[in-house]
Amino acid sequence: MRTTWKTKSAAALAATLAITAGVLTMPAPAAEPVTITIWTFGDVIQRNLVAEYKALHPEVSLSIKKSDLDPLNGTNMVTACTSKVGPDIVAVEVSYSGYWRSYPKCFQDLRQMKTSDANVAAGVEAGLSATDIKKNYLGWRWEHGVAYDDSVIGIPTDVGGLEVAYRVDLFKKAGLPTDRVAVGKLWPTWDAFIATGQKYLAKLSPADKKAGKGFIDNAGTIYAAIMNQGTEKYYKNDGTDTGKLIYDTNPQVKKAWDTTIKATDAGIGTRIGQYTSDWNIGMNKGTFATILAPAWMMDYIKAQAPDTSGKWDIAKLPVGGGNQGGTQLTIPSYAKNKQAAYDFLTWYLAPEQELKVFKTYGLFPAASVTYSDPALLNFKDPFFNNAPVGQIYASGVSQLKPIFEGKLQRAIDQAIGAGLGRVAAKKMDAKKSWAQVLTDLKKVVNN
Amino acid sequence: MTQLQDVKGGTRAPLTPWKKKKKKEEVFPGVRSLNGRWGHLFVAPFMIMFLIFGLAPVIYSVYISFFRWDPLGGSEFSGLRNFSLLLADSDFWLAIRNTFSIWALSTFPQMLMAIGLAVILRNTRLKGKSFWRTILLVPNITSVIAITIVFGQLFGRDFGIINGILDFFGLNRHIDFIEGVIPSHIAIATMITWRWVGYNTLIFLASMLAIPDELFESASVDGATKWQQFRFVTLPQLKNTITFVLIVGTIGGLQVFAEPQQLAADGGSSKQFLTLTLFLYNQAFVNNKYGYAAAIGIMITFIVLIISTINFFITRKISNDGTR
Amino acid sequence: MKTKTPRWRKTSPLSYFLLATITFLSIFPFYWMFVVSSNTNAEISKSPPSLIPGGRFLIVAKKVMSAEGVFFSNALLNTFIVGIAIALAQVMFSAVAGFAFAKLNFRGRKSFILFVVGTMMLPSQLGIIPLFMLVKNLRLIDSLLGLIVPALVTAFGVFWMRQIIDAQIPNELLEAASIDGASVPRIFFSIVLPIIRQSSFVLGLFAFLAAWNDYLWPTIILQSPRHFTLQVALTQLKPMYGLDYALQMGGAFLATAPLLILFIFVGRRLVSGVMDGAVKG
Repeated sequence: MRTTWKTKSAAALAATLAITAGVLTMPAPAAEPVTITIWTFGDVIQRNLVAEYKALHPEVSLSIKKSDLDPLNGTNMVTACTSKVGPDIVAVEVSYSGYWRSYPKCFQDLRQMKTSDANVAAGVEAGLSATDIKKNYLGWRWEHGVAYDDSVIGIPTDVGGLEVAYRVDLFKKAGLPTDRVAVGKLWPTWDAFIATGQKYLAKLSPADKKAGKGFIDNAGTIYAAIMNQGTEKYYKNDGTDTGKLIYDTNPQVKKAWDTTIKATDAGIGTRIGQYTSDWNIGMNKGTFATILAPAWMMDYIKAQAPDTSGKWDIAKLPVGGGNQGGTQLTIPSYAKNKQAAYDFLTWYLAPEQELKVFKTYGLFPAASVTYSDPALLNFKDPFFNNAPVGQIYASGVSQLKPIFEGKLQRAIDQAIGAGLGRVAAKKMDAKKSWAQVLTDLKKVVNN
Repeated sequence: MTQLQDVKGGTRAPLTPWKKKKKKEEVFPGVRSLNGRWGHLFVAPFMIMFLIFGLAPVIYSVYISFFRWDPLGGSEFSGLRNFSLLLADSDFWLAIRNTFSIWALSTFPQMLMAIGLAVILRNTRLKGKSFWRTILLVPNITSVIAITIVFGQLFGRDFGIINGILDFFGLNRHIDFIEGVIPSHIAIATMITWRWVGYNTLIFLASMLAIPDELFESASVDGATKWQQFRFVTLPQLKNTITFVLIVGTIGGLQVFAEPQQLAADGGSSKQFLTLTLFLYNQAFVNNKYGYAAAIGIMITFIVLIISTINFFITRKISNDGTR
Repeated sequence: MKTKTPRWRKTSPLSYFLLATITFLSIFPFYWMFVVSSNTNAEISKSPPSLIPGGRFLIVAKKVMSAEGVFFSNALLNTFIVGIAIALAQVMFSAVAGFAFAKLNFRGRKSFILFVVGTMMLPSQLGIIPLFMLVKNLRLIDSLLGLIVPALVTAFGVFWMRQIIDAQIPNELLEAASIDGASVPRIFFSIVLPIIRQSSFVLGLFAFLAAWNDYLWPTIILQSPRHFTLQVALTQLKPMYGLDYALQMGGAFLATAPLLILFIFVGRRLVSGVMDGAVKG
């Protein structure tokens, strides 16, 4: 029998169709399960976002280990980098950025990584390296994740910012204006802030004075605020891994020190240490009327002093803009699952997610593209008298300039902090205390 | 009560499990008739593990104390530089002052309290003996970190309970238990005392229970008051126990770490409660000077060794002089 | 027969008062933990502080146990396993070696015990990095064995055992057994071990307690939340900056409660073990 070419081609077509149909309906091979290990502290890695990511990627599990900040960014990371055994992602706090920028060998250069297509559906394009996403973030916050050899070792999560949280009711009692714009106008300079504090003290009753009430919780916090408003801190960037020390000659340091001493001598601070139980109690009792508050502290106040809801408000910081705290997410050089980690990291730190974190937990996004988002701009906090905190903090952080941090950043901060503490506790006068700071730091540098 | 014979032929009180045998007394040769060669086998498991996990850190410490070493950077031989810098470092001497002060404040009052409590508990007619004795060990089972948080609250300068009580008694000024040198030492010593006084009470109690009742009875018949009985009957028998408690307390007390660190990681703005081990820890893990920290570690070892030896010889001398 | 209580045996009311005070002071911090964890933060931050427990303990307890990264029953089990393993190991190694140091003549005995005692005086914080490298080379990172193996022997344990055996076992006893033809191992197992049983129990219990409360080393070694011991698990409760008092204290209380329960059962034995020797006399 002769098979016509029609029959043959019909058969071929049928076969092709059958095979194609079979291939198309075959279940897609399941993605490889992978576990990403994350070392973090506090609530940097948000629970609900973790759950969201798991829903997007069922094959990914996130193993999260929280530790205390100092052991985490200190001992644990050093041990891990020395022995090349550790997690896939580590959260590094801003106060350690100076130290870790000196050791880029412990980190994966994120400029060399590219996003895969894993999160395209979730809004993260494929093929993005750190260089590509840099523009989404606040310039000076981005710098905290840049090593001395210009490699990008971390991407910022949030920015602390710094404004003044003040008690409306206590200001009223002292005859001070209560509207936040008017309050902001009270102190265009730090000297004006101190003068306002003195005015406040003058209006305290003798009983209040005896009970140890004051204007600000701790005058020592002024030092860090002023330092972050400058352009240089303790180091000059000279391209080496450590940087060049300038703490003893930088006029910004002198200005910050002198102003803080002035505030301390004026007695406007109550000397209560932040995060002690006395501080929590003080918040509740109105022992102090102002706190220099980063954005994340608002949540803390809400948790510790819920009965003071509505009595607080937020005013602008003297001079303009400040910062306290913030974190970068990094990928260690010895991580086992770098691509999966990078995909998670870029998703987690995408502006969309950072905005979500802000709405649920109050961490202010470092992704500056969100600052024009109406959700952020119109965000008002009823606990703080409906202050438009999104707007206030956004405008504050936009005013800061990048400051180069160096290797001994923390040690120097600690030594100066101790120096200020000694003066506040009346153990030493300012001159002697500063002399001791210099002696202590010489030891740290040379020993 | 069986009297144990020691090798020298004298008798010693049955309860001296705690007498620390130092170098001189090592001459005591063990049981002659037992086959000594088993010794090596018996000691072997311990020795192997100890060499690996106990010896390694020691050798490492001694070795890197002669270097400037940054585990992430390089190392550079510096000979005795770390030691000379250390001796010239005012922080080191401050740490010594703080450590000894805390040690004194936490050891001696505690010993007095422990002996006093043991005297009370010694009475066989005391009701609820088991209960009191068991309660004494409760502080030992709590974690140090949790306790420092609790005591941190209690000792708060403005609103702590302790200052509140002092207010109630008319003291108008609040004590700053963190900034003050002695107050901060008292706060730390209180935490340590709280934790260990019960344990030491039981050790003293054990010693006291070993003293035969006849001694007390005859003293009482002779008209001795309770205090005299304590001084002339109880106290002499306690000498060995006091030695033990003192020495163990010294080794531990000179290495106090967790409590000061939880109070303030840098030891306070004037380093008022920076102890030697905290100083070591900060040099290693905050300042990244591992060589320097190793040198500190070695100095600590020497200091503890010297003090323990002094302790031992002093108490031995007293007990040898005053045997009754 | 004496019917009158001798004058020197009477317990004055003052003594009872002192004991009650001591009891109160011993338990107060523990009670305070309970008060803090059962009140809201607002309550805790009042001055004068509330001394009465609030009603929130069960809520806080639930929060602790279900907190992210805190697998409480896992952590409890892990801590028990580690504690018991360390206790048993330390007792065994220390008893065997302590016996040798106390009663057997062998070469090098003197210098070795001195060296062992000497290492007790070296601060433990110094050895963290080399120990970590060692544990890493043994592939024990993030495992319970990484906690157990380095703690199998301690200088203190051997020293304690040596003293105990020295004090509680008369040489004549061992000599007699030896004359009767018993071998050294036989003597160890049949004679020595039974006598030191109570003191061994004490050593074991203190080793267990130390392992239970250890924080520094487990934090460095353990990585996955399911492997955490209690102390590390509790760190997962900490907020970013500052302290959540109620949660922390709740966690601390829950971490100590099992010990307290254990204590009710073995407390008496522990006490008599610590006081051992006198009782035996």
